[in-house]
Amino acid sequence: MTQTPFRQTADGRRAIVLAAVIVLQAVTAVFFVGDVVSDFLHDGRLEDLHMWIEMLAALALAGGVAFLMLELRRVLTRLAALDRSMRAARGEMAEVIDGFFTEWNLTPSERDVALLVLKGIDNEAIAQMRGTAPGTVRAQCTSIYAKAGVDGRAQLFSVFMEELLAGES
Amino acid sequence: MTEATFTTGKGAQAPDPAAAPRDIRVWDPLVRLIHWSVAAGVFVNAAVTDPEKQPHELVGYAILALVLLRLVWGLMGPRPARFTSFPPNPLAALRHLWGLFHGARGVHLSHNPAGALMVYNLWATLIGMGATGIMMTTPRYFGIEWVEEAHEALFAWLMLSVALHIAGVLLDTALTRVNLVRAMLDGRKRLPPQGPAG
Ligand code: HEM
Ligand code: HEM
Repeated sequence: MTQTPFRQTADGRRAIVLAAVIVLQAVTAVFFVGDVVSDFLHDGRLEDLHMWIEMLAALALAGGVAFLMLELRRVLTRLAALDRSMRAARGEMAEVIDGFFTEWNLTPSERDVALLVLKGIDNEAIAQMRGTAPGTVRAQCTSIYAKAGVDGRAQLFSVFMEELLAGES
Repeated sequence: MTEATFTTGKGAQAPDPAAAPRDIRVWDPLVRLIHWSVAAGVFVNAAVTDPEKQPHELVGYAILALVLLRLVWGLMGPRPARFTSFPPNPLAALRHLWGLFHGARGVHLSHNPAGALMVYNLWATLIGMGATGIMMTTPRYFGIEWVEEAHEALFAWLMLSVALHIAGVLLDTALTRVNLVRAMLDGRKRLPPQGPAG
């Protein structure tokens, strides 16, 4: 039931290394910018070639950090997707479902309701089981569909069917 | 796939997938690395470096860089790291605390609403410390009393905040049985069996 620890997959290790490089470069970039600014405050002469070179270096560093952050985000997204299809292939649909719920940023109660929806239970029955008003469940469903980017129950099912079929191929 | 799949029809019982502990990834490596680096940096600047010497300034700059980096990541990072997952909302924070003392045990997959306020407070205080610290080293503000006093007052506030921060983490961990410190170390929150109903 547990998710594979980060450091045990190639992409996971890549994410850790990227994070470390981002931190180092960001700190260095701030030192550079700080240095440029303080040089300028002490004897600010814009004709000074040295200062322009430092400024360029600082900009290049900052650009590098931004690029690495985009790359890290890509790796993390890929990791989440990979995790999902591995689990689908192993028949661990519960984890696949959890993965999607996290990606959609569902609150814990929305997760419970969404799970019951996926079980094919209607709103009325869900309200009864959870001891809430049917209106509450309807509102929660609306929020779930909005966060998942689907327009109803049927489409919500199809998201998971697709994953299941992809996992089997 | 009908109601018949439920053996018990009572209460807000969560269905089978929730019947075992679930590990959910919340904190990515960048968030974790920044957190522990900032904490270490604050410790070093508070207890190790001599404020009159250069290492204090270098560590201070590094902390500032880390916080700025985290703020950018809050705009573009993965879900739980984004500001939109933990908006600053004092009302929600009060409701959360009220709920805690009345038995609610909701688990959050980012910061809880009260924790979120503390997180913004910590970031603001750290930025304030960095700004006043840098000001002290510039010719313009050098030796000006209120800047130095602000740096010291912010430090006192930071220590109080960190104490509350850690107390909050421990309290939340004790009440919800979700080990938050572990989540900040290996990135995963282990939700207890029987999915949370809050
Ligand atoms: C000077 C010391 C510290 C500072 C300035 C600090 C600051 C912060 C900040 C800004 C966050 C938000 C993280 C983010 O979203 O990027 C955070 C979260 C967190 N911190 Fe600290 N921290 C400090 C020390 C500690 C210590 C010693 C512990 C361990 C007991 C700790 C445990 C945590 C945990 C568990 C979270 C996540 C809370 C949650 O799940 O909502 N922190 N801290
Ligand atoms: C956020 C991280 C920082 C922390 C936790 C921190 C903490 C402290 C503390 C505890 C003191 C001693 C205050 C006292 O005399 O009672 C101090 C003083 C000082 N800090 Fe920082 N500081 C930080 C950032 C910076 C930065 C970025 C700079 C400058 C670039 C800086 C420059 C100074 C200076 C010059 C003093 C000496 C003030 C005096 O004349 O006593 N600090 N700092």
